[in-house]
Amino acid sequence: MSGRVWLYGFVALTAAYLVLPIMAVVPAAFSAQSFIKLPPDAWSLRWWTAFAADASWRRTLVTSLQVAGLTTVVAALAGTAAALGIDRCGPRLKLLFGALFLGPVVTPVIVIAVALYAMARAAGLVGTLTALVLAHTMLALPYVVLNVGVSLGGLDRRLLLAAAGLGAGPWRIFRTVTLPLIAPGVIGGAVFAFVTSFDEVVLSIFLSGPTVKTLPVRIWEEIRVEYTPLVAVAATIMLTLALLAALVSRLMTKRAAT
Amino acid sequence: MSTVRFEGIARHFGPVRALLPTDLDIPQGEFLTLLGPSGSGKTTLLNICAGYLEPSAGRLIVDGRDVTAAPPRLRNMGMVFQNYALFPHMTVAENVAYGLKVRNVPRAELSRRVDEALRLVRLEGYGGRAIRQLSGGQQQRVALARAMVIEPAILLMDEPLGALDRQLRKEVQLEIRRLHLARPRTSIYVTHDQEEALVMSDRIAVMRGGRIVQIGSGADLYERPVDTFVARFLGESNLIEGRVEAIADGRARLAVPGLSAPIEGRAAAGLAVGAVASALIRPEAIRAAAGGIEAGVIERVYLGEIVALRLRLDGGHEVWSRRFAGEVPAGDRIAIGWDAGAVSILPPAEAV
Repeated sequence: MSGRVWLYGFVALTAAYLVLPIMAVVPAAFSAQSFIKLPPDAWSLRWWTAFAADASWRRTLVTSLQVAGLTTVVAALAGTAAALGIDRCGPRLKLLFGALFLGPVVTPVIVIAVALYAMARAAGLVGTLTALVLAHTMLALPYVVLNVGVSLGGLDRRLLLAAAGLGAGPWRIFRTVTLPLIAPGVIGGAVFAFVTSFDEVVLSIFLSGPTVKTLPVRIWEEIRVEYTPLVAVAATIMLTLALLAALVSRLMTKRAAT
Repeated sequence: MSTVRFEGIARHFGPVRALLPTDLDIPQGEFLTLLGPSGSGKTTLLNICAGYLEPSAGRLIVDGRDVTAAPPRLRNMGMVFQNYALFPHMTVAENVAYGLKVRNVPRAELSRRVDEALRLVRLEGYGGRAIRQLSGGQQQRVALARAMVIEPAILLMDEPLGALDRQLRKEVQLEIRRLHLARPRTSIYVTHDQEEALVMSDRIAVMRGGRIVQIGSGADLYERPVDTFVARFLGESNLIEGRVEAIADGRARLAVPGLSAPIEGRAAAGLAVGAVASALIRPEAIRAAAGGIEAGVIERVYLGEIVALRLRLDGGHEVWSRRFAGEVPAGDRIAIGWDAGAVSILPPAEAV
């Protein structure tokens, strides 16, 4: 019995360690003071109003959403196509491609940033939406390939034979059998892609410009100048969106599974 | 409904020869079963017919047309898979409708034909169910309905009853037989279960080691097997090994060590005087006979209306006898006999 109490206690401590520091930004965002203090002495929405009133903050949020949205679409399409292609390869090519697609995940991000910065400069793309989307897609693509690959691994191939035997052509089989059955993987991968892009900061610092800047980059710049609850508001917005994305993915995969 | 003709169809996987060059003609409306143990090439033959597998050699002719290179979707064959391969994300009706939708069948006709197909397999009113909600037997029937609703030229079935329990298997066997008799359709059925083969088939092709060993009606195979393999595979069999003493007029005499008199019976093809062969005596042919061969009763197995006796002949050979319960003699020793007409002398099965 006491063993069980210890176990629960340990789990609770670990959970607190993981979650509490993150959750601390939320009360900070509702502070009435002009500096961050936990817990705040007084509560207000003044920093939310300030955030909404500030065109530059708003613009970075919109940019972040645009970049993440486009990254999600590009990564989901390209990643699904890649996973389908890898799936058709022989075992050795599969291994090779699997390793290649994992490349961006294991490479230190700063290395990618340096490399991409050089290329973006040469192409005159620094400070553009295109550069950010292309760079984020690089990081997001592996997650889609992985997720879709897992879904494909669990796909009963005889279903495809059955569809072909019933007269369906390759495109119809893909549309009516393959895609619905790997949808959980595609959705899961897409959510990963969105979150990866939305909170990406290293590549974004290198590739953002004065007009095109993502929210995390703005937070980073802001915090170096002054540490106001405005930053906490931005962080809370990001946290909410990330949780929402996880929830959506959870619901969608659950629905696809039933 | 169509005629099917395999001409020298063969298939190897690397060095493994899964199917040796095989010729097979299936007339229109015939229910043919490919019967054999795993690895005998029966599923390979079926998959080649469906177009899921390319033959390494040979031609496949359906209704006089060479379809060897045609993709599965252009062959108009209905396939029932071993584990049904129903689309899990579709309802029962959507599964059955799939092939009709592909064929752009108008809506009203489509729903009429789906209903009819479900009625045929006794699943009326199940159209809206999810596949998961069905029992194995029901899923099996959905698979059958899905394959039949497209009015395939040929119906192919790959051990479709393998996953069902015995009672259900019997029911569905009769169901498939009933559907076939009501509407004869060229069908190829793959199984390793002899009972299934006997219940449903017009003809049975027994396969072993990548080739067809014997083809014929159930009675042909049971009464006149070509070798000991077929004899063992269909029905219960007593095989007593000896050497061929004489062959004349389609009959052979087998000298068996330990038996005072040779065993006489119908001579199968491929026997040679002096060669090793086996006498096949079906258990139901062995009966008590006054003045016959003396045997001890080792075991009595009660099977309901039948009782099986394990007997040891005085020569040391063991045989099974199956008689109706009322005919079984009591006691530990009996004298037995059999009709010479019920005995076959068979060559050993070729090594694989």
